Amino acid sequence: MPIPPQLQEIVDDFTTMTREEKLETLIGYAETMQPLPERFREARSKMEAVPECMTPVFMIAEKDTNGGIVFYLDIPPQSPTVRGLASILTNGLNGSTLEEIISVPADFFLPMKLDEAVSQQRLNGFMGVLAHMKQVAVRVGSE
Amino acid sequence: MSYVHPEYLVDTEWVAAHSNDPDVRIIESDEDALLYAIGHIPNAAQVDWFSTLQHTLRRDFLTREKFEEVASKLGITNDTTVVFYGDKSNWFACYALWLFQYYGHKNVRIMNGGRLKWEQENRPLVKDVPSFSETKYKAKKADKSIRAFRNEVLKQSNAKKPLVDVRSPKEYSGELISMPNYPQEGATRGGHIPGAVSIPWAQAVNEADATFKTPEELRALYEGKGIKPNEEVIAYCRIGERSSLTWFVLKYLLGYPDVKNYDGSWTEWGNLVDAPIEK
Repeated sequence: MPIPPQLQEIVDDFTTMTREEKLETLIGYAETMQPLPERFREARSKMEAVPECMTPVFMIAEKDTNGGIVFYLDIPPQSPTVRGLASILTNGLNGSTLEEIISVPADFFLPMKLDEAVSQQRLNGFMGVLAHMKQVAVRVGSE
Repeated sequence: MSYVHPEYLVDTEWVAAHSNDPDVRIIESDEDALLYAIGHIPNAAQVDWFSTLQHTLRRDFLTREKFEEVASKLGITNDTTVVFYGDKSNWFACYALWLFQYYGHKNVRIMNGGRLKWEQENRPLVKDVPSFSETKYKAKKADKSIRAFRNEVLKQSNAKKPLVDVRSPKEYSGELISMPNYPQEGATRGGHIPGAVSIPWAQAVNEADATFKTPEELRALYEGKGIKPNEEVIAYCRIGERSSLTWFVLKYLLGYPDVKNYDGSWTEWGNLVDAPIEK
């Protein structure tokens, strides 16, 4: 199954960017991440604390009227790289079906050559966020 | 009681007063390198541990020649006072300071409290990237007395000399190799180097404003765990960044004469064939 078209579009955009353009685009994604809707605030406050050095990534999802899955994230502004990368995933995946989401290959982003712009640790984290989204999608999708 | 080498610390007020001082270069070094682009201290330059300070091929830091290029482009002379600050309680600021020391730049400082304190005080952050006239920086030969390699670490462990593991308690116990819900990156085995004591790095800083704890608190913290100034000490974490903060604390704030940072840290030790591990 091909990856969702709006995610493919982001991947294609990145393939032609210079390193500086990639960094600027990541900042753009970080800055335009939508704030967490009020109705999820309570769930957010119950989130488990993460060990010291990690950026806390809060994630919740629900089905839209077409049965697609929509993710909402809350990541502190002090972590723009994590915000930017996670925002790529929500922009690329929101509204997709459960099947589309779980079919996204873990290495879908390799053509984006993000390793020019961010460290391998960050890319591992990026894969971690995608893996986490799949778990949340499975939970929401089966409700 | 004061810090043994208080001259290695400056406060935010000092930085605000000296950001345009030609003899001073303010450098931001973050865990999240995009923070600089979003806003930084006026006239501050940036180094990024990943894209500026690493060797592009080997797992190592940039060569002496490359370091000279980087320092020259930052307009740093051998006499410039270089002040580092950053996010996450100055983790990566300490990492950059450690590397500058490695190549012999002695005139370095940490801005106590880092980005957090600067922001809390509502001091200005700007997006303008300053440019400096290029210098001809001369680095010294790498100072191996502050950097430990795996063979020395093994000797240290076998001799039951002090090793400080500064990772989180669950990483020390081997329950986790890195963080929950994330791929357990970087190492095939969990645990710690035999004989290492667990003193998580964050215990050396005040959570509220990212400043260092008092000399009394720091002394009690490390001496209480048997880490004393009379022996050589090696600190490590996962990739050597958190432990460079501990290195800074032991070396300058408490004045321990012989402290090394093992930058190979757990991503090397936990993958090293035949290396002994304790859980």
